Amino acid sequence: MNDLESVRTLPLLPLKNSVLFPHLLMPLSVGRQASLAAVEAALATEEKELVLVAQREAGVESPRLEDLYTIGTKAVIKRMSRPSESHMELIVLGVERVVILKLEQAEPYLKARVRVFPLPEEKTAEVEALHRAVVELASRAMSLAQPQVPAELSQLLASTEDPLRLVYLLASMLSLELAKEQTLLEVQSRGEALRLMHTYLAHEVQVLELRSKIASETQTEMNKQQREYFLRQQLRAIQQELGEKDPQQAEIEQLRERLAKLDLPEEVRKEAERELSRLEKLPPAAPDHQVIRTYLEFVVELPWRKGTEDRLEIARARQILDEDHFDLKDVKERILEQLGVLKLNPQAKAPILCFVGPPGVGKTSLGQSIARSLGRKFERMSLGGLHDEAELRGHRRTYIGAMPGRIIQAIRRAGSNNPVLMLDEVDKLGRDFRGDPAAALLEILDPEQNKDFRDNYLDLPFDLSKVFFITTANALETVPRPLLDRMEVLRLAGYSEEEKMEIAKRYLLPRQLKQTGLSAEQCAFSDETLRQIISRYTREAGVRQLERGIGRVARKVALRFAEGNTTPVPVRAEDLADYLGPAPFLPEELRKELPPGVAIGMAWTETGGEVLYVEATMLPGARGLTITGQVGDVMQESAKAAQSYIWSHAEELHIDRNLFKRAGLHIHVPAGAIPKDGPSAGITMATAMASLYTQSPVRNDTAMTGEITLTGLVLPIGGVKEKVLAARRAGIRRVILPKANDKDLRELPEQVRSEMEFVFVERLEDVLMAAIPQVEEKLATVKTG
Amino acid sequence: MREKPKQVPAFFGPASAARGETRWQPSADVYRTSNGWLLKFDLAGVRLEDVNVQLQGCRVTVSGVRRDWTAEQGFSHYMMEISYSRFERTIELPCDLANARMALEYQEGILLIRVTEEEEGR
Repeated sequence: MNDLESVRTLPLLPLKNSVLFPHLLMPLSVGRQASLAAVEAALATEEKELVLVAQREAGVESPRLEDLYTIGTKAVIKRMSRPSESHMELIVLGVERVVILKLEQAEPYLKARVRVFPLPEEKTAEVEALHRAVVELASRAMSLAQPQVPAELSQLLASTEDPLRLVYLLASMLSLELAKEQTLLEVQSRGEALRLMHTYLAHEVQVLELRSKIASETQTEMNKQQREYFLRQQLRAIQQELGEKDPQQAEIEQLRERLAKLDLPEEVRKEAERELSRLEKLPPAAPDHQVIRTYLEFVVELPWRKGTEDRLEIARARQILDEDHFDLKDVKERILEQLGVLKLNPQAKAPILCFVGPPGVGKTSLGQSIARSLGRKFERMSLGGLHDEAELRGHRRTYIGAMPGRIIQAIRRAGSNNPVLMLDEVDKLGRDFRGDPAAALLEILDPEQNKDFRDNYLDLPFDLSKVFFITTANALETVPRPLLDRMEVLRLAGYSEEEKMEIAKRYLLPRQLKQTGLSAEQCAFSDETLRQIISRYTREAGVRQLERGIGRVARKVALRFAEGNTTPVPVRAEDLADYLGPAPFLPEELRKELPPGVAIGMAWTETGGEVLYVEATMLPGARGLTITGQVGDVMQESAKAAQSYIWSHAEELHIDRNLFKRAGLHIHVPAGAIPKDGPSAGITMATAMASLYTQSPVRNDTAMTGEITLTGLVLPIGGVKEKVLAARRAGIRRVILPKANDKDLRELPEQVRSEMEFVFVERLEDVLMAAIPQVEEKLATVKTG
Repeated sequence: MREKPKQVPAFFGPASAARGETRWQPSADVYRTSNGWLLKFDLAGVRLEDVNVQLQGCRVTVSGVRRDWTAEQGFSHYMMEISYSRFERTIELPCDLANARMALEYQEGILLIRVTEEEEGR
């Protein structure tokens, strides 16, 4: 090879994004003007040779020499065709690499002097070793490649002896970036070429291995599921062969049998059968399978048409009611009436009762004995703090973990469709953004609507009309009006001391003795002892504290017997301090003398009644009316009405009008920490004011209650029994009541009525005359004068 | 040339080509005759004086040049499929041709080489 042949002047064909390696064929598509001219020039020669060289930047449209790499490849054009004037398709064969020496011509195409740039032959052991390593790695890569490399290609690789050709061949098979290809073309030695190729191949193998690992992992996952499926199918086949039923099928059969035996409404049966056939079609692994099964089991368990038979023996019922509770005549009458109705008309709708009264008066236990007297099942649930409508009506089955509402659950527990269902604390329902449970109760407690009560979970109509609903409440103020409207309210007022005595003797004491295992002889409570416990150790409308007190004494006595005592232990009143500690309540002593401006009122509370001393005083220099003691709006207005009446009738009461101008008025209603409201202290406040302005004290043995109007009328109020009992507990024997409340005295025990003096009034003047002795004289003179 | 062109190894590339050039290979047919071989080479457009035939052992090598004598100034290529310039093709026959005779004939673009084996001991 002489110098003349190794240095040639040839057209340059810039390549945008590839490098042509020697010994390789490459199809090319040529469109640039300069490139077309270069190809033309090459074709005009006999050798049809040109130099292909890569551009440094693919974006350059008309590259100059400095835009090109300096090392390229001499190539022969093997084929050419020209689909259009400005476009050529070529197949070129790389011959050898050349280095560009000098640009000879730039227009119309690049033409340069190039020198052949061969690599020195190398036959070192290192090259040999590298060669083998590359071949090995290459065959690894080919075995991993997808789609598979044609066999001819792998044969060609194996038979290529020249390491450089091998590298070029591999480079054509890998998709390398332009920079890497150019680096490969520019190597200084065969060893370097092999090393570079080894790196590229190693990377390729890694990528391929990772890919095949991912592919095989997904494959195993699939296989595992298929395996399980096949095993299940086999299991089923084996079970059939052995004559066993597949457990799922057996379960469905069982449900079907139960359904068939049940007496169900038509709609329910249809729906249940539809769900059952859905269940059959579902594979046990489906999430809905469990949901439907639970649902069906629930449907099957509900007492759709199963009820208990009522025991309609009135005498027996009366006996049971009397056994369990003292007094409560109204309630007992109402229950017996219902029994009578049921006897005449078995299809009668059950009433919805609402027991209202202070805690511990026996509302809940009354419900139990009603159920017992009727021979019905008893279920109770507390609505206290319930704030989610879905608790009552259930969640739709689309929700995960959906459950039927509490009503339907209680029915299922009862196992009959006509239980006595007690809804406790209906006045303590909560409400929030999730809905108002009271609204749901409206439907449940409406005899017209609850025939077809639809629980969200069940989504089937269930007849609640036979359920005997009883609700309980401590106060009716917080019970929504529409709900109250649906219920028959029965009041259980607090008990008087005498009633408590009876209750203690008849029910509480025997029960506590039984619990502690004592006989009545071993532990004898005298009447006086019980009275002391009632008056000095308890202060309540009900009897819970009383029962606890008796229980404590009984336990202490039981301890003595357990320690070896054999003689009966009489529990005397004077020993009570030893058993129960010092008495927390002193019998309320009347205030000896009331200063002018103080009047005794009576209040009704949820826990019974109380006596309040309303105080009024003048504030010299101040103006207007100040009211303190956690007083609500109604009570404040009532105070203003009282003030206005007193001021406007100053003459009649012989009050100096200048007092009003000189001083403001302050009314305080103890106890200051307890919120109070309501109009029933109207006459009390008016009396306190009248007493203050006339400087005449109110009688200390007289308590009063009643609403006042601006014209001095006294209107009726509620809670007479509790109030009177509270006054009596406080030692008061004279009570002023509105005339319209005289009928309420009926509720009071005979003994109380006979002990106390009641003054019924229609106008405020009557109140003042009855309460303030000096005013009585003045008014009397006015009237007579 | 947006897409990267895929390079293909030149399968029938001139492994024996001298460095610095590639030689194209003319197509050939080979016949067994009653007393030797007939080799046919497709060498259209090649002048007989540009062809060189060598016999070496059992190999017959045909080499030479096809000149692109039609190209004139002002022409531009529209298609090119014929290979020009140097060519070389070696055919290996399954016998020793040391004593064979060879006759060349050029007919209508086809080069015919008749190889006659000499009988042993003649």
